[in-house]
Amino acid sequence: MTAARTAFDHGVAGRPLAVAAALAWRNLVGIRRVPATFVPAVVMPVFFLIAFSGQYRGIVEIPGFATDNVLSWYTPMAVLMGASFAGVGTAFSVARDLETGFFDRLLLSPAARGAIMCGSLLAGAARGLITFALVTAVGLAGGAAVPGGVPGLVSLLIAALGVATVAGLWALGLVYRIKSQSAGPVVQVGIFVGLFLTTAQAPLEVITGWLHPVARLNPVSQILELARQGFLEGVAWSSTWPGLAAIGGLAAVMLVFAVRGMRTLTP
Amino acid sequence: MTAPIEAEGLVRRFGDLVAVDGVDLEVQPAEVFGFLGPNGAGKSTTVRMLTTLLKPTAGRARVAGFDVVREAGRVRRAIGVALQDAAIDPLMTGTELLRLQAVLHGIPRRHADRRGAELLERVGLTAAADRRVGTYSGGMRRRLDLALSLVHEPEVLFLDEPTTGLDPMSRVALWEEVRALNQERGTTVLLTTQYLEEADQLAGRIAIIDYGRIVRQGEPRALKSEVGAPTLLLAVDEAHHAAAVAALAGFGEERPAGPGEVAIGLEGGAARVPDAVRALDAAGISVNHMELNQPSLDDVFAEATGRRLEGAEEPAGGGGTPAATGG
Repeated sequence: MTAARTAFDHGVAGRPLAVAAALAWRNLVGIRRVPATFVPAVVMPVFFLIAFSGQYRGIVEIPGFATDNVLSWYTPMAVLMGASFAGVGTAFSVARDLETGFFDRLLLSPAARGAIMCGSLLAGAARGLITFALVTAVGLAGGAAVPGGVPGLVSLLIAALGVATVAGLWALGLVYRIKSQSAGPVVQVGIFVGLFLTTAQAPLEVITGWLHPVARLNPVSQILELARQGFLEGVAWSSTWPGLAAIGGLAAVMLVFAVRGMRTLTP
Repeated sequence: MTAPIEAEGLVRRFGDLVAVDGVDLEVQPAEVFGFLGPNGAGKSTTVRMLTTLLKPTAGRARVAGFDVVREAGRVRRAIGVALQDAAIDPLMTGTELLRLQAVLHGIPRRHADRRGAELLERVGLTAAADRRVGTYSGGMRRRLDLALSLVHEPEVLFLDEPTTGLDPMSRVALWEEVRALNQERGTTVLLTTQYLEEADQLAGRIAIIDYGRIVRQGEPRALKSEVGAPTLLLAVDEAHHAAAVAALAGFGEERPAGPGEVAIGLEGGAARVPDAVRALDAAGISVNHMELNQPSLDDVFAEATGRRLEGAEEPAGGGGTPAATGG
């Protein structure tokens, strides 16, 4: 048998963590060199924050809202929206790589497929961190209050990173199957349905009709509660664990979806 | 020793389309093997199966001693691949891409930087190493692609149409690099190409593929000698085409030719050109151009498939001997 030894054959393919970090780094370098690819992911949530808080200024006066500060109500929602765009944005980078053929270079390497996927998720999380910082800063500058203090901001950050990961896995699953940026509309529909058929605009007690049971069952409502708690009152475990469980559950389901999608790319 | 590349009855279907239809290949160690055929013949699909990017519908293949389906990971560690469309991120620099490639292959950073610098020098890109690839010319991208495929010193190198779209100088430079790699390191190279000259220049053996099937396989010289007589090629007016064929019928078998051309395998070679000219003259045929070509890979292709290879290019000054011009 021909021995497949080379001067650099150290018995391992690219170490998974190193591969994931290198691919995430490449994605961030791309953002730095062409910021236009990332700007919408930050501008859109800021736009929604300004538009919603201006248009629905009086909404928090409805009985059932836990705050009378409209920016405190909408800032966490805008952060999660930005985080979802961040996750989706990295999947679109993968779609571009599939279209140009760069992704073949990754598939032709002995690096673990899981590490390649983690690279995208890591980039999504890093992008999510940037949108978290910028959108939160805009909200706080506009007058959002954080009675939950630092733990409240940490809750929001965890929720944002969770949403970036879940949205990234959802988008990767579709992109791996469709293999082009034409996956975009389907990805966005899923994101908007997931994000808005929830308590994004109003507390569950205020929602009536068909949306009430949908918002109650939608796990993203639990993630919104995790994200919002520090902006409404203090951080409590009873508002934290359902959000963490929702992130874990959604991530697990989307991971299976994405891994199966990845398997369609190579034998 | 097992051959570095072996394929047996390799088939790939896409729905009703049979892109590769029972390909058998055996490439020997340290050999440059040319895979020649027109666009859509099945060259790239075969390479994608051999490099684990595509699962064969039927048949089996081993590369570097490993099965391409069951041991795909081990195959990937042993091969270097430069695909047809040099897919290189235009936002990154040459150095950054080489570092990324090294990470993908598990090469430690201290080795990666040294290896990257060596490869950039080898392909003449040291000065452009820190420029974004988007500013590179087509030839520079191809050379970088070659360098990327060599980062881990692969045992088997796949080059899928490496010079398509390159200017003649860049093409020759890349050929020299491939020759050097093969001679210095003994790297086995499978090269797909639609350029006859490229296969002739680089490959020790070639396989000609058409409609997914290998129609000829062997050393270029042996294949050409099998064709036999040189080709007498005439350019005539359309009105004289049939008469020219008839006038030359006794000189050899008609061969496939382009529009407005007549080609025959001239039995007896150059010595019979005067007789052929006299026969044409006697028939009152006006000849616009005439040349006598020694058997080429295009003739091999034509003999095997009944038509000329699209976009066929002959070596400059080689093979074609102008015999007469004008009528």
